[in-house]
Amino acid sequence: MSTGQIKKLVTIKIKISHLIASICLLLGLLFVAGKTWAVEPYEIVTNSGVSEKTLSKNALRAIFGMRLHTWPDGSPIHVFVLPDEAPLHIAFSKEKLNVFPYQLRAAWDRLVFSGTGQAPETVASPEEMLAKVGSTPGAIGYLTRSRMDGSVNVLHVK
Amino acid sequence: MFYTSSNHIRRCLTREVIRLVVVSAVLSNCVAYAQKLPIPQNLPNNLQIHGFASQSWLKSTDNNNVFGKSSSDSGSFDFRELGLNASMRPKPNLQFSAQMLSRTAGKGSPGNIRLDYGFIDYAFLSEENSKMGIRLGRMKNPLGFYNDTRDVPFTRPSILLPQSIYFDRVRKVAIAADGVHLYGEYRFDHGVLSFQGGPVRPLVRGAEAEVALLGQGVPGHLDPDISYIGRISYELDEGRLRFAFSGTDLNINYDPASGDPLRAGSIRFTPLIFSAQYNAERWSFTSEYALRHFEYKNFGIAALNQDFFGESYYLQGVYRITPEWEAIARYDVLYTDSNDRSGKKWAAATGGDPHRRYAKDITVGLRWNVTPEFMLRAEYHRVHGTGWLSTLDNPNSGDLSPNWNLFSILGSYRF
Repeated sequence: MSTGQIKKLVTIKIKISHLIASICLLLGLLFVAGKTWAVEPYEIVTNSGVSEKTLSKNALRAIFGMRLHTWPDGSPIHVFVLPDEAPLHIAFSKEKLNVFPYQLRAAWDRLVFSGTGQAPETVASPEEMLAKVGSTPGAIGYLTRSRMDGSVNVLHVK
Repeated sequence: MFYTSSNHIRRCLTREVIRLVVVSAVLSNCVAYAQKLPIPQNLPNNLQIHGFASQSWLKSTDNNNVFGKSSSDSGSFDFRELGLNASMRPKPNLQFSAQMLSRTAGKGSPGNIRLDYGFIDYAFLSEENSKMGIRLGRMKNPLGFYNDTRDVPFTRPSILLPQSIYFDRVRKVAIAADGVHLYGEYRFDHGVLSFQGGPVRPLVRGAEAEVALLGQGVPGHLDPDISYIGRISYELDEGRLRFAFSGTDLNINYDPASGDPLRAGSIRFTPLIFSAQYNAERWSFTSEYALRHFEYKNFGIAALNQDFFGESYYLQGVYRITPEWEAIARYDVLYTDSNDRSGKKWAAATGGDPHRRYAKDITVGLRWNVTPEFMLRAEYHRVHGTGWLSTLDNPNSGDLSPNWNLFSILGSYRF
């Protein structure tokens, strides 16, 4: 092997290692960007008139997927959510429903724009969430513990 | 030739980008203003009203036109989608829904306002893990992953849906039908199994369907016959993995005019679509495969009486860079006749151009969610073949080039 060839090989090797380093850096950045900020402890809440205290994960997913419309006693369910980009909505979707917010939005859009279902009502803030869930019969939503009061019940997932 | 067309594209692009930025700035001001207005909540009977409006600009090379004169110097603005829907749920198991749609998309869709869907939905069984019901009226056809909401840009992965399966030149036949659907779902611990379907009457009146199915200048008209449609889907882990199998048995009769060279023939179209999707936090992979069986019978002309299978598939990857930015890449393939993939046999028999019988489309695109209600999109298609180009927008097949490019921008607002 001539010196020229060796030099070429070394340059290629350096280029490859640069490429690998850049890819690692990019992936690392993406990982950091992908991490969600931890939110305060929160609970699934219902209107104080709802008698259910526990619910299966299946039923919870079906309710927030807008496919289950009634409580076991036959009364209508009203679903309230925060905007898609709200940290509490992201945490609730991932941890309690095991879905990403974009999937929920896609599922609701499919229902709304094919006429086969309806969208949940979006509230702008935790204050509005408390006011709406506290005053709407059959309502379900989620709140951080520090925002809760006696107008809502905590619902546990079995 | 290539350089002049790419220069054209560049010049037009700059102009259009400026125009879109101005339009979007005005629109987002309107949106901000609208959000300050008291939007009525808690309407009676759970009434919900939603809608969307979108405008696209398309620029293609050579003489290949997509939605209007897109190959002209200034491109085409002839692609506009407006929709308004209302739904009412007076009781938890009863819903009324209707949507009005105006779609402008080249010569096939002149933008007239029409009923997109309108039906009554009654769930006669609803339990914690299962549901069953019936729908009566005009329903969207449950085909593949995207057909039900294909005119809503926010629900599509790209400006143009993969044309091998979601043909825009025969969309009326595919989009909706009048009839009865039975639907149901069962929720397992790790997934949801659902189905919907039933007997329907397809929407086949109008030049678009006639030209697409029989060619230009046919004096008679198409009449719908009883048809069947259905989809079964299984969603694992609330949509982490989605599978669907859908199909239709579409029956259309030909009603000849007086002195018509064609007889009272019939067309039977039975496409089967297999769909699969994987959704991770940042990635979504989607693939659909369709086998489309066409049977033309009793037209009295040997060239028209045909029986063949078409084949289509696409592979698509979407990457969510941030919640606001999304990138897409797709490879989409169409063979009009799977026994004549190069179109040579057809060309020898009819004297047509073989590239009218296939299309291979590589698409890359970007989506920018400016606000949750307003979105901008840009995409580029490199296409080999002209199989899905509309005859209405491209009346002279001889003008078409087998290798062509398409660039498009779309702005869309929803509420």
